[in-house]
Order: sequence, then structure tokens, then C-alpha cells
Amino acid sequence: MTPLRLRHGLLAILLLMGVWQSVLPVAAQVRDEVTLGVFAYRPEPVIRERYAPLADYLSQESGVQVRLEVLTQEELTRSLAANRVDFFLTNPSHFLLIRSERSLTGVLATVIRSWNGQSTGSIGGVILARQERDDINTLKDLRNKSIATPGVHYLGGYQTQALELLDAGLDIQRGNRIVRLGNHDRVVKAVLAGDADVGFVRTGIYEDLFRESPGLAGELKVINRQELRGYPFVLSTRLYPEWPLVSLPHVDSRVVRRIASALFALEPEHPAARAAELSGFSPPADYQSVEELARRLRVAPYDQVPRVTWLDVLNQYRYWVAAVAVLVILLAMTSLWLGRKKRQLVVEERRQRTLIASWPQPMLMLREGVLIDCNRAAVDLVRYSSESSLLGKSLTAFSPFVQPGGTPSMQKAESLLAKVMRGEVVQSEWLFVRSDGSEVWVDMTLAPVQEPGSGAPSVLCAWYDISRRKNAEERQRLALRVFENAREAIFITDAHGAIIDINDAYTNITGFERDQAVGSMPPMPLDEGSSILVVAREHGVWSGEFASGRQSGEAVVLNLTLSSVFDESGALSHFVGVFSDITRLKDTERKLRTMAHYDALTGLPNRVLFSDRLQQSMAQARRQNYSLAVLYIDLDQFKPVNDAFGHGAGDALLVEVSRRMRATLREEDTLARLGGDEFSAIVVNIAGEAALQQLLFRLLEAIAEPAWVADHSVEVSASIGYTLYPQASELDGDQLLRQADQAMYRAKRAGKNRYCKFSDAVS
Amino acid sequence: MNRRHFLRLSVSAAAALAMIGCGRSESLRVGVHPWIGYEPLFLAEEFGWLADSVKLVKGQAATDSMDGLLTGELDAAALTLDEVIRVYAEGVPLRVVAVTDVSVGADMMMVKPGITSLSGLRGRSIGVELAGVSGVLLFSILEHAGLESHEVTLVDLPVNRHLDAWQRGEIDASICYEPVASSLAKVGGTRLFDSSDLPETIFDVLVVTEAAARNRAAAVRDLVQAHFRGLRHVVRSMHDAVYRIATRQAIHPDLVRRALATIMLPELAANQRYLARRGQLEAVARRLAEILVREGLISSAPEYDRLCDPSFLPRSLR
Repeated sequence: MTPLRLRHGLLAILLLMGVWQSVLPVAAQVRDEVTLGVFAYRPEPVIRERYAPLADYLSQESGVQVRLEVLTQEELTRSLAANRVDFFLTNPSHFLLIRSERSLTGVLATVIRSWNGQSTGSIGGVILARQERDDINTLKDLRNKSIATPGVHYLGGYQTQALELLDAGLDIQRGNRIVRLGNHDRVVKAVLAGDADVGFVRTGIYEDLFRESPGLAGELKVINRQELRGYPFVLSTRLYPEWPLVSLPHVDSRVVRRIASALFALEPEHPAARAAELSGFSPPADYQSVEELARRLRVAPYDQVPRVTWLDVLNQYRYWVAAVAVLVILLAMTSLWLGRKKRQLVVEERRQRTLIASWPQPMLMLREGVLIDCNRAAVDLVRYSSESSLLGKSLTAFSPFVQPGGTPSMQKAESLLAKVMRGEVVQSEWLFVRSDGSEVWVDMTLAPVQEPGSGAPSVLCAWYDISRRKNAEERQRLALRVFENAREAIFITDAHGAIIDINDAYTNITGFERDQAVGSMPPMPLDEGSSILVVAREHGVWSGEFASGRQSGEAVVLNLTLSSVFDESGALSHFVGVFSDITRLKDTERKLRTMAHYDALTGLPNRVLFSDRLQQSMAQARRQNYSLAVLYIDLDQFKPVNDAFGHGAGDALLVEVSRRMRATLREEDTLARLGGDEFSAIVVNIAGEAALQQLLFRLLEAIAEPAWVADHSVEVSASIGYTLYPQASELDGDQLLRQADQAMYRAKRAGKNRYCKFSDAVS
Repeated sequence: MNRRHFLRLSVSAAAALAMIGCGRSESLRVGVHPWIGYEPLFLAEEFGWLADSVKLVKGQAATDSMDGLLTGELDAAALTLDEVIRVYAEGVPLRVVAVTDVSVGADMMMVKPGITSLSGLRGRSIGVELAGVSGVLLFSILEHAGLESHEVTLVDLPVNRHLDAWQRGEIDASICYEPVASSLAKVGGTRLFDSSDLPETIFDVLVVTEAAARNRAAAVRDLVQAHFRGLRHVVRSMHDAVYRIATRQAIHPDLVRRALATIMLPELAANQRYLARRGQLEAVARRLAEILVREGLISSAPEYDRLCDPSFLPRSLR
């Protein structure tokens, strides 16, 4: 809004001025006077003298009084600002400056100067130096020289020279001391006086000077002199259009027309023209070259490069700026977004790397059969020192030549990888040889990983250490084999004793098939029964031998060890029993025992068992306070039987006699064969001596009965000695037997076939 | 003629061989002769706007430049369009890279005072540089006048010798241009006919050989650029240019102003238009080729796909 309003304001002022100005020419017409300002490029009286006739001529020809004012550039500028000048004549550079300030000025005509009969509409510059300055001959010599000039707004007095020097590579505006002296005469004087090294003047001044003071000839020289055919003046520069005569817009157009026609009508021969040293006026020239010059030199009005503000740029290029801004913002946002994504990715990647690297499970990456990456756990598993010692190797590098199962490692690996390349995920058990030579079983999983951008797919490889499982399996297999192949029967029961499993030996020994046995109770001693389970539970183990029956009813002796099995919590979970069939062993044992204590021929206890029984019977007698008798029996005339009928007959006789004696004695009594034809007996719980003697008599009778041996009836008798226990003094078994032996000898001596009691007195 | 032709060919072959050997680093040699339309090039040289890659070889007349092109001494030249066709017809392929000016009265016929009309030319001797643009103008004038070429006496003479011939009475009329025309005017000659009567027919152009256009494009561009910078000085600083041209041609500045009025100096945009494919220039070139063949000045029209090449014109002036 503000600029618009301002513009309206300006318009109003201009309108007002227009009204005012339209009044002015009327006033001028009334006064019939206009002012012609002429720029005093030379001292004011000189200019006034030259241009006064022109003003008179114009007054006369146009019917308008033309008043001449000779002004310096500053005065002219001030007068123009006050609208006190209607027409002015000045140099092109000054005209440009004025035009740039006022905008509304029109060139009526361009001056044509004449000199010695030649005329020109062109102006240039002259560079003067004193003749004796040998150091100044070309443009280049002006470097660092002081320069006298009427002023920088003089075309021929400064700007033309400055441009030539600029083209020659010298920027005098920067590199030289410039002395501004106001007009051309002072410049020439300064050069002549040596106050300045060189002087700049416009064309024509040099010639004027020589005409006025011919004495100066030879004192000055022209630098960079241009020899231009048809140009009347000496010259150092290129040429530009001559001075313009300018009318100001406030002058009435009729006045302008009259003045213009008077100007163009001016003939070279006219005194006014001669006085001003003109040959007339030509139509306005093109001052473009002067503008160009001012632009290149950056002198007024082109000294100030318009300051381009940001707002101007914005205004001019707002769509571009907006587009670029949007793009920049987009770019920045994209960058930020990308940056954040990248950071996230980096963090993610680092986390994954850390995760994989520190993952307790060995993980590896293969490409083209070769390891390209692995984590710490993998290195540890194969007991290598570092990852780098693994990378670049194939799986077979730390595998035995042949895998368990008989396939060579290389072949197996190739077939696995081939499957993976087809996109399958494969799993296989694999045996590795560690760096220290030990073996480790792993469960290896191989999976293809298609990484975009890389040619061959990578293979992710995970290892799971199954050595312990493998070992356990091995042990289990072994245990099973033991279980199955053991000669001992093995059974496993639950906590209550019911069979869960048995081995083949169990069936062999007991005759029960597996399905019969499972669920039933194992064989147990009849007397103790399931109490052995309690014992085994409390003491961990029970063992013992007992008689049992096979399925067929056949008796069998078993030797059982029953162990209790506890679970992790210490609770009893199972019983394991191992038993063997010791029936035959028991038989053998019994036979051996029999052989040790009984007489092989008669089956009677031998001397060892007899002594044993005697000890027991004596102890019992003492405890129960009864008497026992020890008998010593020796067959009479046995030897002749033996000799007559042979040992077989003798043995048969001994067996028969033994049987009869055994039958005669009571069950609780003991009869033993001491050797040969000697026997001994223990008769316990004797009711009285009479009863004993009655028994002895029956014995003798039984022995004396004829016996049929070897197809012969033979008769033998026996001599029996006996002794009683207890006696007055304490005796041992051997003494008792000796007493009985002595008594037997007495009976022998007494005539055989009789019994005799031991008596101390006899001995 | 055959002998001369053979000589030219052998010389040009030798020159071509020499160029292959050592010519690469040398500057582009441009044949020019005094003509107001070529003044921008001279001004450019004077103000130092001519790049080192370009060297002006100054001849007296168009024939010098044409011979230079034929012998291979020159890589480029400033010539009229018909001269270009003649050189092309003699076996040196050329490309027009700029139009320097279009004659609107610059080429003219100066006649002795007794001759007042074109028909008055019958039986008179006419000085003409048949090998140059003058030939085309002459035949056009004769066509205009309804005369056959055998009805007049043709004196084939380089234009710089016309004044002498005129003064010795050897010729009654001259096909010429400034500055010779002014010189003839001083000794009583009057203008009977000029190129403004044949609008847009007489073009002055800058041509380069096909080889230079191909191999030394940068130098060709420098040449064209220099012409346009000189042209700008003529247009913008005419006050200065007039005196400099006057000095070089040794005539009065007013004559220069007058001469400038007889040509059009096409600027960049106009050049683009003239040099365009199927543009004015190629049309005129075809017509000129027909005239030249008809008058027996060339044996056959040159064959080319494209004569003009605007690609060396600068986009703008620095």
C-alpha cells in the first residue's frame, strides 16, 4: 500500500509542478527571455566573449531574448536544480550526468566546431607533457605519474584519456595522483610549470593555446598522438560526439522550435559562429558511445553500481528462489532423514554384529565354500586363536578326512553346499577336529542368504555343539548293549516294585516273557517278600540268595542284588535288580559241604561233623541239664570179610551195618563213621543208664544180624565202649571220645560183641 | 587458362602439404582488401581486438584474396558472394561464416560525362574486374540495359588501376566502388548505376576454407567475433570510426560517411537470418552461380550441401 500511496503523492506533486511550469513559459514569453547556460570549460571571460554573439544571434533570429550565463559545472548543476536555465551547452559527460538526474532533457543539436576551415562534430582528448620529459612518450609511461585535469566530469579533459589508458592496462583512477583544476587553462599551466607530469585537455585547447601564446610551441608534446585524416585537432584518444545543446522540458515548445531552427540555420560564415569557433549545429548525435565510456570507467552517472539487495533478488527471481528453497528444504530433509536412517542402520548393524559376535552359538558365513565371517564362539569351538585364522578356509580344513559314517568330509560338504545353493536349508551332524587334535561333534545348519548385489549367494552356517549328547548317546547305547547282553538277569521296576523293563537273561532264567514280566513283581525271597524293597530303599541296596520258582515250577536259586535309583530330587524312582541263577552253584556247594562232613560210603557224618555235633550236644546237655553218652563202635572180624569177599563186599557190609545202627538210634542221636570199621555215636537226653544199656544191647543185636553181601551171608559183631557226660570234671569232646575209645578196647579185650563203660578205675 | 588452372592447383596442393607439416600452430590467415564493409576487421585490428589466432593479410583487390584462397596461402577471406562462388567453382570448398555488409549502392558504374544513359554504353569500353563482384554487377547492368556483352568492350582490369586507365582514356566507364569511385568522380566521372538498383544481391561475406572450418573452429570464431566488435565500434562510435576509416583509405571523413550510407551492416540477428538454411544468401548464391555459368566465367556451378554456416556466430558480444 505504502509505495502505491507514495506514487500517488509523487504524481500529485508532478501535476502541481506541471501547472506551475505551464505558467512559467507564459511568464518567459511575457518577459520574452530565456537563459542559455554555457559550461565554462575555459576561463569565464573567454567563454563569455565567444558565446555572447551566439546568444545575440539566437535572440535576433528567434525573437526571444536569450540571456547568456557562463557557469562552472557546479553552478550549472545548481541553476538547473533551480530551473533558472532554459537551454544549456555542456560536454557530453556532464550532459549524461544531468540527464541521469533529471531524466527529462532533450538534445536539440550537436555542436560542429571548425578550425582552419575544417569542421568536425567529434571531440576527443589530448594528453600533454612537457617536451623535455623524455621519460614520457607512450601511454605506458604514465604509470605513477601525476595528472592534471580540469575535472572528472570532463569528457575530453579526463574520461577519454582514462579509457585509452585503461585499454593500455593503466587504471589511473586507482594508480595515479589526479589533480583537479577546474578548467583546461590551469591544466596546461600546471604542466608547463611542472606541477603535474602530464595534463589532460580536450581537443582544440592545444590549438587555442598556440594561437594565443605562440611562444609555447615546442614546450609541449602530445602523447599517443592519433593521426586522423580530416580531423582538425591534435588528438590522443578515440573520438566521441561533440557537445550537445540541450533544452529543458519546461521551455515552451514554440520557443524550443524557434531556437532550434535558429541553431540549424547558423552558417559557418556567420560572425556568431566564427566568434564561437563553430561551423554550426548538426542534428543530435548518438551519445551511446559516451555512455559506454562512462560505464566502462565507472564514472558518474555510472559510478554507483546499483546495490542489489536481497529483496531485489527475491523479487526478480522469486519463483526460482521459491523453487530452490523448496528443493533445498527437501534436500535438507532428505539428508536429515537419510542421515538418521543411516545412523539407525549403523546402530542396527553394530547391534547385530555384536549380537552375532557375542552369540554363544557359533555362527559363520560362507561364500563359494570359503569362510568369510564368523563369531567368537565359532573360533572358541574349534579352539583357534583368532577369527582371521579361520577366514578363507573351507569347512574341510578342520574336519577329519572321513566323517563318521564313511563319507569323505569334502564330498559331504560339497553335497551339503550344493543343496543349500538350490535354496534348501540343510542340517547335518559334523565332526570337527580342533586345533589341538580333539574332536567335537556339531549339529550344523546351513541356510542360503541371498545378499542383493553380490553374485554368489552366501551361506549362513550355525554350529551346535552336540559332543555331550553324542557321548551320552554312546553311553546309553553301551548301557543298552550291556543290559541286553548281560548273562545276569536285569530288571527295572518302578518305585513300587512293579517291573518296567527286563532283559533277555531275565526271560532265560525265570522263563517269564517280557510282556508277562512287565507289571508284575520280580522274584523275591519267600520269607522276606517285598520287605527287601524297604531294605533297598533305606540302605540303597539289598542283596541275598533265595530260592524261587521258574514259570515251569522248577526250583531255582537266585542271587539278587537290588539297588534303589533316586531321581534328581532325591526321591526314589526306580529299583534296579540284577540276579543270577545260582541253583547249580548251590548244588555244588551242598555237595562240597557234604563231602566235607559226611562219609562218602555210608552217608554218615564224618569225624569233623561228629566233633562239631558233639560240641553242640555237650553245650545243649549242659544248658538243658541232661546226660549224653558218647559211644565208640568197632566192628569185629571185619577184615576177614574184606579179605574174603573183596572191598566191595566190605563196603556193602559197612553200608548195611550203618543203616541198621542208624535205624536203631533215635532221630536226635548222631551216628558218625570215624574211619574203616570204626563208628561213633552221640546219644542225647539219656533217661537213665538202664535205657542206655538197653539201646546198646539192641545195637549189638542189629549189628550181629546176618547180612547178605556179595551173594554171601556174612555175620559180624561189634565192640562198643561208652562214656557219659557230664562227669565230675569238665571234659572236652576229644577227651570224651578217647574215654569211649578206651572203653571199646576193654570191650574188645573182654571178648568182643559186648559193650563196656569207661571207668577211671580201670585205667 | 588450362595452364593457369593447372599451376594454381599444383601450387595449392604444395601449400596444403606445407600446412599439414607446420601450419597447425600458425594463425588463421585472412585475406582482406580495402572496402568499407570490411572496415570493422581493420578497426578490430587497430584496437587490438583481433585474437592472436587471426592474422589479416592485406591485399589491394579481391583477386588477391581469391588467389590466396586458391593457392592455399589463405584460410579465410572477405569476399563478395559471387567471388566465393568462383573460388568454390575452381575447387576450393568454402563456408560462409558471416555477412559483413549488403551493398545498397556501394558498387556502381562511373561513366565519363558523355554517357547519360545505360544505352549510351553501347560500343564503349568498360573497365571491370571480371573476376570480382564488378563482373556480376556489369552483367546485371547489361541485362538491365538490354545489351549483350559483345556489344561493349570489356577491359578486365583490377579496380585499383581504373583511375590510371580512365585518365589515359583507355576506359569510358568503370565498374568500381569507393574509394576508387570518389577518385573517378574528382576527375569528372558520374554515377550511372549502382547496386541499390539491385537490392539484396551483392553480399560481402567472410568465408573460411572447409579445412579451416573443420580444424580451426576456435580461430574462425575469433575472426567472426572480431568483425562484430569492430562493427559495434562503427555503429556506436561512428564519430571515431569515420576518422579512422578516412585515415586508412586516405579520403575525407565525409566520403566515409557517404560510403557507409551505401551499405547495410547486418548485425548478429540479421546474420543468423541471412545464413540460415535455405536463407537469402543461399538463394542469391544459386542465382549468381547461374549467371556466372551462363557468362562462361565459371565452368560449372559448385556443388555443395550447404554454403552458409551460422555456427561460428557469437551468441552475444562481450
